[in-house]
Amino acid sequence: MSKLKGLAAGALALAALSTASAAEAETRVGLLLPYAGVYAALGEEIDAGFQLALEEAGMTEEFAIVREDTEVKPPVGLAKARKLVLEDEVDVIVGLVSSGVLGAVRDFVDGAQVPLIVANAGNDDATGSRCSKYITRVSFSNGQVNRPMGQWMYDQGIRKVYTLAPDYAAGRQMVGAFAEAFRQAGGEIVGEDFTPFRKTQDFGPYLTKAKAAGPDAIFVFYAGGEAISFVKQYDSFGIKADIPLYGSGFLTSPLYVNAEGPAAEGVVTALHYVPTIDTPENRAFVEAFRARTDRAPSEYAVQGYDAGRALIEAVKSGADSREALASALAKVTYTGPRGPVKIDPATNNIVQNIYVYETIKGDGGLTQKIVGTVEAVADAPNGCKL
Amino acid sequence: MFHQTGIKTAVILALLAGLAAYAALGGYFARELVIEIATLAILAISLDMVAGYGGMVSLCHGSIFGLGAYGFAVAATLLGLPPGLALVAGIALGALFGGAVGAVTSRARGIFFIMATLAFGQMVYVLIFDARALGGDDGLPGVPRLDLSALGVDLQSSLQFALFAIACLGLVYALAAFVLRSGFGRTLCGIHANEARMRALGVPVWQYKANAFALSGAMAGFAGALAAQHTMFVSPEMMVWTVSGEALVIVILGGMGTLVGPAVGAALLILLRHEIASLTNHWHMVIGIVLIVTVLAGGRGLYGQLEHMVQARRERAKAHA
Amino acid sequence: MLADPSTWIVQGLNGLQLSMLLFLLSVGLTVIFGLLHFVNLAHGALYALGAYAGVSAVWMLGSYWAAFVLAPAAVALAGTVLYLGLIRRMRRSGPMNQVLVTFGLIFVFLDIFRIVWGDIALGIDAPAFLSGPVEVLGVAYPAYRLFIIALGAAVMAGLGLVLSRTQIGAMIRAGVDNDRMAACLGLNVERIFFVVFCVGCALAGLAGVVAAPVFSVTPDMGTQILIPTLIVVVIGGLGSLKGAVAGSLIVGFTQTFGAVLAPQLAAVAVYALLAGILIFRPAGLFPARG
Repeated sequence: MSKLKGLAAGALALAALSTASAAEAETRVGLLLPYAGVYAALGEEIDAGFQLALEEAGMTEEFAIVREDTEVKPPVGLAKARKLVLEDEVDVIVGLVSSGVLGAVRDFVDGAQVPLIVANAGNDDATGSRCSKYITRVSFSNGQVNRPMGQWMYDQGIRKVYTLAPDYAAGRQMVGAFAEAFRQAGGEIVGEDFTPFRKTQDFGPYLTKAKAAGPDAIFVFYAGGEAISFVKQYDSFGIKADIPLYGSGFLTSPLYVNAEGPAAEGVVTALHYVPTIDTPENRAFVEAFRARTDRAPSEYAVQGYDAGRALIEAVKSGADSREALASALAKVTYTGPRGPVKIDPATNNIVQNIYVYETIKGDGGLTQKIVGTVEAVADAPNGCKL
Repeated sequence: MFHQTGIKTAVILALLAGLAAYAALGGYFARELVIEIATLAILAISLDMVAGYGGMVSLCHGSIFGLGAYGFAVAATLLGLPPGLALVAGIALGALFGGAVGAVTSRARGIFFIMATLAFGQMVYVLIFDARALGGDDGLPGVPRLDLSALGVDLQSSLQFALFAIACLGLVYALAAFVLRSGFGRTLCGIHANEARMRALGVPVWQYKANAFALSGAMAGFAGALAAQHTMFVSPEMMVWTVSGEALVIVILGGMGTLVGPAVGAALLILLRHEIASLTNHWHMVIGIVLIVTVLAGGRGLYGQLEHMVQARRERAKAHA
Repeated sequence: MLADPSTWIVQGLNGLQLSMLLFLLSVGLTVIFGLLHFVNLAHGALYALGAYAGVSAVWMLGSYWAAFVLAPAAVALAGTVLYLGLIRRMRRSGPMNQVLVTFGLIFVFLDIFRIVWGDIALGIDAPAFLSGPVEVLGVAYPAYRLFIIALGAAVMAGLGLVLSRTQIGAMIRAGVDNDRMAACLGLNVERIFFVVFCVGCALAGLAGVVAAPVFSVTPDMGTQILIPTLIVVVIGGLGSLKGAVAGSLIVGFTQTFGAVLAPQLAAVAVYALLAGILIFRPAGLFPARG
């Protein structure tokens, strides 16, 4: 590892030299996102949000961007991260959709001392037991988004809940955080199932089992294509009338909710961003994003935007090296589309509001009605020492 | 039947030298590419041994590759064994699993054989994916590299690791060629050509198939252990069935049943994908078209076609003489 | 909970529904193999094409039933192009090359879907009168799923009748038995091949458009369904209708009840089943030829 550090230091010195000789100081940014494969849509969304932040600040000239495709494969992601640092000599890496890729990249960026702004991957450990002063997360942690729902649902009079999620790390963390908080509030988890990840298309068997357990509500985490299948199948079994559906907000993300159609109406979920947040910052953001892509921004778009925004704030504060950027990023604080945000000095994870929202029928299709806000949600350090 | 012909020797040596030159002269990423090419070439050679010479087209070599990687990673990180022993563990795991698959599937043929290997491979993938003790889908970080400082080699340096991987590729090729030239290799080719006759001659066919698969598994496991050291990280993603498919694609692009072809194919696919990916996000389509065109053009693959042309010319010359 | 009979009825219907969907997909694949000796890995991509064509038809015409008719037709058309451009000349070139060409086709289709329909998952709604649950055998069950079961059963019966009772059925059976002999007897084998290939593609397209309201429509949906479909075909034995029926039911019920009874093993169960069957019956349960 020491050799690697030496190499990185050498690269750093080189980068410093080349920046000094350039006429204008520019920050080299490596965008490390999936542009092909199952998460390509998320990669594009984050990229669009990031661009928007630079354009809005009028600072597109100040940043030189190198894009690399992770293909959602951890070894590929790691190889590309190495390439960005050692060959393109970027000052900062932005991106990462899948937690698997983040896990692969983590030791490398930590060892090479390159700041990494995580724009999606929610693995709790990345800002918990495996946190790093070089890793700043502006998206969310799996626990952060779901924990508030435990108390909130209990307060609605719900006592017995059945949980469902895909069987992989993120699925277990999302539902696990909710279940823990719900039990602490006094509720009971009457059953749980983890469905084989990306291999389950027919949720019928699980839904039948969940219904038979007789819970007051069902809480789930599903995203993307699985979310669409799940919400529609939940509706078709007619369970929604007896047992309401709650979940992690990714279930009814603006990116997928129109494909879910009427089946999504009445589903109550929690997320760190919805496009209907009624603040001047968000209205401006939604308008700008619509002008660009012709649809409402999703949580992924705002994560890309905030990654760009955080980077701009750090650069504006005078940070001009990897080391300075890493410490400046940890001090970033502003009010953006999702409300007031800051970076938690204990974990380097973002501190933000969590919005509980119901999906309802609006003028032009489905829209989100905020039914509750839990302010300034921060994670416990979970073994993180910075 | 395998012969280490002059053209085989010339092309494999040229390829090894080319890779070494590219690693030495290219930038950091060139070395990453070279390491990836070398590991995939070893995997493809191991596949070509059973598929090209034994007629056993396997769709579980990706899983064996992954098992080798996990064997190494688990032994080195969770069990705390020295990397040298961990390497043995990775190879042994690949050989064991390969031998088992070869033994149980020895009666199936054609598409049934392909599907049976796919099933075994997928079982391993699912089990590893669900094994939380091994990190589940998050994988295992912190995988060390071999310590060859006694030989004056520092594997932490990307250039030296690339050269090391090239040397490994050369060794594995030599081993595969040696095995295929031996009596064992000739019997294997004989089973491929006419299984019924070999059986009638009293050859224990399933034993040969199992042994060939075990040997191939050892090589694939070695490739996996190498890949694990390269990325210093393992994840179940290494053993999805499409990795097996990719290994097969490499064998075909280069030329099946030529042993040199798989190494050529690995270089071709990785460089092609790298070049196309820098132009478009739709590189899958380009690779697909290249694959279709390769098969339509005769299915001999790049190196296979070259070898075919050289031999045809030689035979013509002989006929004239 | 497990003692409750209504749960078992619903799970039984779930198993049947999945089986019928798998049947629609696998029957085309298996008959094409039996007759043409052609391994078409792109069959899953044709299923996805059916789903996407269905989405587009609903967008343009606003009717699910229009999509129900047009999507299989569109996929059959794509099948025609594939047959004339590629498959016909690949027929004699061995299973290995067929596997690879169709593997290449999977990649090509994947990017075509991404370019034409985008990366974001899509969906369509079931027709209104089939969208809710209905009462059946004393339990509430989604009407649309019953429709899938009925459709699968109808296709099963129809194909059974055509194969066993009609002249073209006899020709197909003769072709599966021995295509050279059939050709010597004066049958236009080429034309039978062509028709069977197109019908197989249309059925894949039908499965796609039927699945679209239940599942989400994504570029990789074909790759996801490919392996279960291949497992059905291989378990049943290549080339036989009986095999496709048996294989679909076995896989459908194993997946459904595996998910209920042993969730931890559900993902492995089907592979273990396949491996087990292939060890003891290396050519599947009902191979078309001896």
